[in-house]
Amino acid sequence: MTSPAVIKRLATGVPGLDDVLGGGLPEFSFNLIAGQPGCGKTTLAHQMMFALATAERPAIYFTALGEPPLKMLRYQQQFEFFDSEAIDRSVRFISLSDDAMAGNLDRVLKRIVDEVTQHSPALVFVDSFRSVVLAGETDGHPDNGLRQFVQQLGMLMTSWQATTFLVGEYFSETDANPVFTVCDGLIWLRQSVQRNSMVRKMEVMKMRGQPTLPGLHTFRIGAEGVEVFPPASVANRGPADATAALGAPRLLMGVPGLDAMLGGGLPSGYSLLVAGPSGSGKSILAAAFLSEGARRGETGVIAAFEQHPNRSRSRLVADLIASGQVGLLQNPAADLSIDEVVFMLLRDIRRLGASRVVIDSLSGFELALAPTFREDFRESLSNLVTALAGAGVTVLMTSELEDRYTDLRFSPHGTAFMTDAIIVQRYIEVDSRLRRVMAVVKVRASAHSDELREFSIDADGIRMGAKLADHEGLLGGRPTRKHGVPSSPGGT
Amino acid sequence: MVPNDQSDEIATFLAQRAGNDANARRVAVSVAATCRDIEDALTPIVGTRGVAALLSRSVHVAGQTHVWLNEIKEGLPAAIDLQALTALLARQSPATAAACGGLLLHSFHELLVSLIGASLTERLLRSAWAPFMSSRPQDFLP
Repeated sequence: MTSPAVIKRLATGVPGLDDVLGGGLPEFSFNLIAGQPGCGKTTLAHQMMFALATAERPAIYFTALGEPPLKMLRYQQQFEFFDSEAIDRSVRFISLSDDAMAGNLDRVLKRIVDEVTQHSPALVFVDSFRSVVLAGETDGHPDNGLRQFVQQLGMLMTSWQATTFLVGEYFSETDANPVFTVCDGLIWLRQSVQRNSMVRKMEVMKMRGQPTLPGLHTFRIGAEGVEVFPPASVANRGPADATAALGAPRLLMGVPGLDAMLGGGLPSGYSLLVAGPSGSGKSILAAAFLSEGARRGETGVIAAFEQHPNRSRSRLVADLIASGQVGLLQNPAADLSIDEVVFMLLRDIRRLGASRVVIDSLSGFELALAPTFREDFRESLSNLVTALAGAGVTVLMTSELEDRYTDLRFSPHGTAFMTDAIIVQRYIEVDSRLRRVMAVVKVRASAHSDELREFSIDADGIRMGAKLADHEGLLGGRPTRKHGVPSSPGGT
Repeated sequence: MVPNDQSDEIATFLAQRAGNDANARRVAVSVAATCRDIEDALTPIVGTRGVAALLSRSVHVAGQTHVWLNEIKEGLPAAIDLQALTALLARQSPATAAACGGLLLHSFHELLVSLIGASLTERLLRSAWAPFMSSRPQDFLP
C-alpha cells in the first residue's frame, strides 16, 4: 500500500486565482510569475504575500535591480491588501541590489541563503529575478551559471520548506529558459491590446501535480488588487434541467395578460429573450419583470449596458435600485470580458439573493465587451446563459431587432436557440398609425399562446390588448382588414 | 510619531543628548549615530545606495540653510561620508550643530514620508527614531 505525499494547497487570497490554479497553490512549490513590464507581476506577488504571510508563516520579499524598493513600497501601499503593520512582523523586505550589482550569482545566492537561514521564511519572493539573471550575465558566465543558480535556489528553497516565487520580465514563453524547466509552477501574465482597449490575461502554463484551468483567463487590477475571472463554465455549478421546468414554479411578468400568454408565467430558472425594434417597449417589460419580483419580495439584478444609463433608465428601475431591491451592474468602458460579466453578475446575485436578472440589452452588452472578445460573442453569450441558469436565476434579456417584414427574426446575434423562451415585439401600420404587437414565440417544455396581441404603453406600463382578429398579414408590417369583418375597437 | 515641528524638537534632543557642557562634537557624534541607525534600519530593505541617495538628498536640503554643509561631496555616493559630516558639525557652535543636525534628520524623515507614507516610515524607522520618541533624552546619552 502506498502513501503519496499530501500536498497542502495554499489559498492565495487573490479572488478567482485558486480556481484557475486548480485548487490553490501547492505548498513548497517553486514558481515563476512572468510577463512583460506593467502586466501586474509585482502586484500579484505582493497580494499573495500579504494574504499568505503570518507570524508563524513569515515571508521574505527580495528585491533586486528592477523597480527600486522605495518606489515599489510607495506604489504597492496604494492597494488595500498592503498592510504596513505586517512589515518586519510577518513580511520582511530585503534588497539584493548591492549583491546583484557585483554581477556575481554566487554572491546573490549566498545572500539569499544567509537571509533564509536567519529568518526561516515559509514564503520567498525574488523580484525581479530577471535582473538578477542579467546581472549574472555581465560577469561572463550567462547560461551555465544561471542554470546552476536556479537549480540550487530551487533545491534550497524546497529543502527549507519555502514556497517560492521568482518574479521576472520575460517577453516570450518560447525561450528555452532553464528557469521554465526547473520551476513547478509558471504563471504568465499578458496585456492584450486591440484598438483602444487593453485586457489583462493570465495563463497558468504549468503547475505540477494538479489540474489547472487551461487557456487565458482575464483579470483586472483595481484598488483591491488583482481579481481573476475564471471561465464562466466554472461559475456554472450544475446546469438547469429543462425538464425540471415542467414542474417549476412560474414567475409573473408584471404585465396582466402576458402571463396567460406564457402559459401561466415564466418558468423559474428560464432565460427569456425579448426581441423588438427600438422603442417597442422591451426595457419597459424588463422593468415590469423586476418590479413584479420586488412586489413579491424577490430581489433582482440589472446589467445595464446602455450608453447613457441615467438618461434611459426608467423611473421604476431607478427606484428599485435606490431601494436596494435591484442591484445595478454597469460599466461604460468597452473593456469587459464575458467571464468578468458573469463573475460580477454572480457576485451581485449572491449578495442580494437575487432570483430575477435582466440584461438590457444584448447589443449594449456586445459593445461593452473588449473588441478582442466580440468575435466570440455568440459563444460568450451561450456561456453567460448557461452560467446564469446554473445559478438558478430567471433571466430576461432584451435584444434590439430591426423590423424586417420579409422574415421573422428574434435576435441579430443568432442566439435565439440558447434561450428557453422568446417574446417578440413588432410595429405594424394600421390606418396610418404605428401600433405595437407582441407574441410569445417559444416557451420550452411548456404550452403557450400563439396569439399575436396588440399592446400599448402608458404611464402605468404595458397594457395588453386584444388580437387584431379583423386584420391579416400583421407580420408583413402593413396588415389589411379582412373582407366582411367589422372594425375592431382599437381600429379606426 | 515624530512631531511635525520636529526639526526644533530633534535639535533640542541633540543638544540635550550632547550634555550640559554643550559640546558640538558630542552633537555631531549623536547625529552621526542616528544616521548609522537609519542606515542599519533601511539598508536591508533599500540597499546601501538607496540609503545613501536619501541621506545625500537630506544633506542637500539642510545645506540650503547651513551652506557649510555643502562641503560634503554630493553626486552618486555608494554611502554617505559620516566621518566628514561629524567633522563638519563639530566645527560649528553647539547650537548650530544641533540645529543643522535637527534639520538634516527632519528632512530625511519628511523625504521618506513623502515617498512611502507616514505609517510605513514610522514602522521602518522605529528603532532609529526611538531616541526622539523617548520622553527622557538623558536615557540615550552617548
